Amino acid sequence: MNNKKLQAKDFITIGIFTALLFVIEFACGMLGFIHPYIVASYVILIPLLGAVPMMLFYTKIEKFGMITIMSVLIAIIMFVTGMGYLGAPLIIISGLVADIIAGMGRYKKSKNIMFSYGVFCFWICANYFPVVVTADSYRKNLLDGGYSKQYCDNLFRAINSKTISVLLALCFVFGCIGAFVGRAAVKKHFEKAGIA
Amino acid sequence: MTVRLDPRTKLYMIFVVSAVVMMSATNSLLWALRIVVTILPIAFLIMEKYYASALRFLILYVTALGITFTCLSEKSTGFFMAFLLGYCSIIVQFLPAMITAWYVLRTTKIDEFICVMQKMHMPDGITISLAVVMRFFPTIKEEYTSIRDAMKMREIMLGTGNVIKMVEYRIIPLMFSCVNIGDELSAAAITRGLGEKVKRTSVVELKMKVYDYLLVILFSVVLIVYVVFRNVK
Repeated sequence: MNNKKLQAKDFITIGIFTALLFVIEFACGMLGFIHPYIVASYVILIPLLGAVPMMLFYTKIEKFGMITIMSVLIAIIMFVTGMGYLGAPLIIISGLVADIIAGMGRYKKSKNIMFSYGVFCFWICANYFPVVVTADSYRKNLLDGGYSKQYCDNLFRAINSKTISVLLALCFVFGCIGAFVGRAAVKKHFEKAGIA
Repeated sequence: MTVRLDPRTKLYMIFVVSAVVMMSATNSLLWALRIVVTILPIAFLIMEKYYASALRFLILYVTALGITFTCLSEKSTGFFMAFLLGYCSIIVQFLPAMITAWYVLRTTKIDEFICVMQKMHMPDGITISLAVVMRFFPTIKEEYTSIRDAMKMREIMLGTGNVIKMVEYRIIPLMFSCVNIGDELSAAAITRGLGEKVKRTSVVELKMKVYDYLLVILFSVVLIVYVVFRNVK
């Protein structure tokens, strides 16, 4: 790959992997319907499961901008599916930083890729952003809207501004672990087949 | 009567509905507007002959709305009620955006979409990638179904055996087929001159019609009302 700029072929690859990642997110999101507290475990599930396509993605393009574009796409999809625009800056910034980190290792060094994926996983926290950032007004809205106080207390017991930092840290840690798992999976399956 | 909307109108619809969904409805006027905004895409779905999905969305939305309105009060405490209300409010909150997105995804052809994005001077990277994402969701579903069938034949099903194996045996084949499809897709696209420097022409011609303008005005009004109420309060 002599050409440093992204080509049409790369854009198509980015689109495919974004779709894959989003399907995984959506599948995990369905689990959240079972019990609201499972929603908190997104930070563990999505980094681990998403690592497999992402690690393949890292080996596929190896050009600057690939993760940035992916994060922009994720931000757009999140907005379209009603998750709001509050998380968009977080998603795009984490994508950009992840891109820079991976770029420093020329998209080859496993350490850089690990950290880069860890940073990229911050986008998952954008799921909680509307709830966490606007917690106070959201709570008031719920009470105004006629929800019982007990329900609100239950809902907000787990959510406060301290939680978001814990969630971010968890994202990063499980992103790094997921990177290991994902690399192992890619090695096991794709390198043998000559795809990676 | 068939009304084919301009893709630009559809994109604007998505934008407005997503924004409206984010803001909470506190009085009956805002609720009414929100319901109108939800019913419209369903009506368009019926017009485009997607009867089954329109009916499904309608039933889901009306049920959730009904439960929310009848059960919602200061007295609704207790575990079960909290649960039920939680679900219904999630549905009422997010379904409008889902319906609109689904409608746009189903009725917009990819060439129309790319044409519109080019007219709005979006960068190529985002246009192409987004178009691929749009095209790819049905493909992934199809592939996943056949992979699941194959796994059933080998008796690797949900709920039997260990979870890691189950997940691995689903994600890995899915990725294999997606990568292959992607290669074919890019080969097909590049032969048609995608990604060249020259300005591409398009077969579809896009024109805003009267009802497009009407819809844009209607949705703008809804958005303005929401913003005003939010800031005045």
